[in-house]
Amino acid sequence: MKTIRYFAAAVLGAVMLFAADESKAQLFPDSFVNIDWQVNVPLSTSFADPASGWGMNFEGGYFLTPHVSLGGFIAFHTNLESVPRQTLSLPGGGAMTTSQDHSVFQLPFGVAGRYTWLKESTFQPYVSMKMGPQFARISSYYYLFKEYDNTWGFYLSPEVGCTIFPCPENRVGIHLSLYYSYATNSGGVLTYKVDAFNNFGMRVGISF
Amino acid sequence: MTFKRLFTLAAALLAVMLVACEKEPSTSGLYNDYLVYTDYDSSQDFSRFTTFFIPDSILVIGSRDKAEYWNDEHSREIVAEVAAQLTQRGYTATTDKSAADVGMQLSYVRRVTYFAGCNLPYWWWEYPFYWVPGYWGDWFGWYYPYEVNYGYAAGSLLVEMLDLETPSPKSDEPRLTVVWDCFIGGLLSDSERLDTRRALEGIGQAFEQSPYLSKSSK
Repeated sequence: MKTIRYFAAAVLGAVMLFAADESKAQLFPDSFVNIDWQVNVPLSTSFADPASGWGMNFEGGYFLTPHVSLGGFIAFHTNLESVPRQTLSLPGGGAMTTSQDHSVFQLPFGVAGRYTWLKESTFQPYVSMKMGPQFARISSYYYLFKEYDNTWGFYLSPEVGCTIFPCPENRVGIHLSLYYSYATNSGGVLTYKVDAFNNFGMRVGISF
Repeated sequence: MTFKRLFTLAAALLAVMLVACEKEPSTSGLYNDYLVYTDYDSSQDFSRFTTFFIPDSILVIGSRDKAEYWNDEHSREIVAEVAAQLTQRGYTATTDKSAADVGMQLSYVRRVTYFAGCNLPYWWWEYPFYWVPGYWGDWFGWYYPYEVNYGYAAGSLLVEMLDLETPSPKSDEPRLTVVWDCFIGGLLSDSERLDTRRALEGIGQAFEQSPYLSKSSK
């Protein structure tokens, strides 16, 4: 994981240096790229539902008109929860007493459409909609074991945010957004079932 | 390097990053805990049993090339706890194996080297010294009438109840039925005293989560 962080930081640094070069106002004309850290808050899932910051979002888009852009995104997030020792009545008649760690890993990707206002200003608000497939892994860790269920579903996420360019000529900005997401993934482990994911969250990152 | 190759390389690196991006929980706290798993034959009426026989030793599953038994003050505490729990549930201990309605098999997994790599969930079943069929009489071994989901690990205690009255299925090679089983994992610390205490707590929990195991149950 550390290697990945170092690598991501190196790539990020190189891109920012490149983007900060005034002779190259944008990496790609009429386009944008966002790289974000995110906080995800599961809503009414009742499985690994405490908020966490173990996730990132990558998004890029091309402006079809001065305000409307279309592009792609990919994000990932893990929410974790420690479950104290309890006795579970298992399907089939058995019972198990143990402590657990629960985990939900979500990985949506797909297309993203965005409408941006005040595109030539320092402060550029926008609304967007993301949709596509989502992979989600629902896991329970107990004793020495891990049980998991890999699921696929459809993902839909409206988002509002803004990009702030303190020095517009450099095209390196700060990206802030709030999102809601819904995914149809359904699955379960042991005695736990999850039907659909509802999330609320916040993203902070860079835009260039 | 052309843009196309650069883009391909970046996409490949991003894919590698995403595959490895799932955050794993810190499970160190789980290793300090122990697990108690029980299962049973739901078609059984446990109230029809009256007497039980329990050996005075615990079979050790290890790496020796012959049957090995654990018989010291700690093992005797564990055996006594199982007997006490059964007595509390209304069953009567007997020293006459042939007269007992059920037999209790206690086994402790000391090492997993013997069958390490074996893909069977209940691999010790094929351990050549695992409660050899002749131990309980003229039967051809035993079987589980329900699905068994064990994981194997050193420091596990297995407790099984065999129906000695009704060999099944009826055939030329009648086998005994394991009507109740218990798996307690996590009994391998630096302290034998602690392991024994956990085993005793685990046995108590196993009976607590098996309310059907009673002379008065229907």
